[in-house]
Amino acid sequence: MTQAPQIPNASPHADLRLSKYNPLSRILFFDDFDEGINGWCELCGNHDNNLDNIKPRTRDPRPAQLSNCTFFDIGTHGSVDGVYALKLATRPRANHMAQLIKRLTYAKRGLVQLETYFTYKAEAVFDSDIQTPKQWDGNYHPVEAMFGEFTISNDVNDGPDGQRYHCVLRYVNTDRQGNLVHKWMYKTSLQVTTKMQLEGVPTPEDWHTVNPDDWEEIPGGNFALCHNEVPTKVNWHYLRWQFDTQTRRNVELQINDRVMDLRNIPVPVYDHKYYSCDRLLNFIFDVRTYMPVRNFLFLDSVVVSVDW
Amino acid sequence: MLRRSHTAVLEKNETYTSNFKTEPYEVGWASEAMWFVRITETSGSNVKLRAYGQISPDGLYWSDKSDRAMEMDDCGQTHLSLRDFGSWLRLRVEIEGDKPSVKLMIVLALKE
Repeated sequence: MTQAPQIPNASPHADLRLSKYNPLSRILFFDDFDEGINGWCELCGNHDNNLDNIKPRTRDPRPAQLSNCTFFDIGTHGSVDGVYALKLATRPRANHMAQLIKRLTYAKRGLVQLETYFTYKAEAVFDSDIQTPKQWDGNYHPVEAMFGEFTISNDVNDGPDGQRYHCVLRYVNTDRQGNLVHKWMYKTSLQVTTKMQLEGVPTPEDWHTVNPDDWEEIPGGNFALCHNEVPTKVNWHYLRWQFDTQTRRNVELQINDRVMDLRNIPVPVYDHKYYSCDRLLNFIFDVRTYMPVRNFLFLDSVVVSVDW
Repeated sequence: MLRRSHTAVLEKNETYTSNFKTEPYEVGWASEAMWFVRITETSGSNVKLRAYGQISPDGLYWSDKSDRAMEMDDCGQTHLSLRDFGSWLRLRVEIEGDKPSVKLMIVLALKE
């Protein structure tokens, strides 16, 4: 097969907004959410034009929002560069997940790297019926324990003669009782697709896995993020995630200065083929609340780069 | 650059039997908003839906933008245009009738 010509990009730092990133040789896209939503859209489940036939877990992953990060006590926070961030927001319903996807196809297999600056929050609540194990002490704020989890993943399909798989990495902030967990996890089972559900696999509790406990800890992934006390301070974190579409594996996850080696982590592969998904390359963010409290994930910008 | 625009589907064939509010939606970048409400099924008798546009400074505390409402009593679509709002919008929806049930789509179309 003829290889596409390799033409190196210009220096990424020609755009100063990129100087906080460390992209691979070719930038596929740079989404600054001051410029718009840039193709991040709701991951609605498959249907036959009848929206009632969308399977329950994929029925309501909520639309993308452009947020200026405004809060009731200080007004507008803004994003890292400029005003707006991409925002995922759950409903205030336990086990509700908000999920956005950006859909591409790939021109060549190899290393793919996603970088972003993110922050996460649970909404400020004024309902004393919602309790978590620890009380406010002037430093710790219970709202931190009202944020469940967020997940970053891909959806890659090598084509009708190839394999489909999802690399999936999750930050679990709490358990279901609101005890802090602070662990990065990887999944050990497949995402139950609409096709699988129509063939009899039950609708899962967790969109990403067959069973809710199909997760393992990532070595070196037990650490707290910077929640910064109250529900209205946002501190942006650097995230760099690399995966390899040649080996169908994760490579590394970096959160600020911490780098987790993911090369030996298994990635579940579907044992059946998917029609019409040739060279699929999707990027997915989601956030899930365990309590009747809205959970938010904010992204200042996203850079995806490749090594070809 | 062309004017930015964005359409958000806020309720997707959800069924409601009593009053509700849509989820808060951030619109600080937009200057024009058009709400669309489309009822796809009803049951009960004397069913009536009224939907009011609401604004908020913070996504927590809300007030009606005006006393204008979208009113519907059967399947179909209606709309409500809003300008001069803050950073957040939602709809406050009243449902009346005898054992009323309304299945609907609620869509918010925004322009810079």
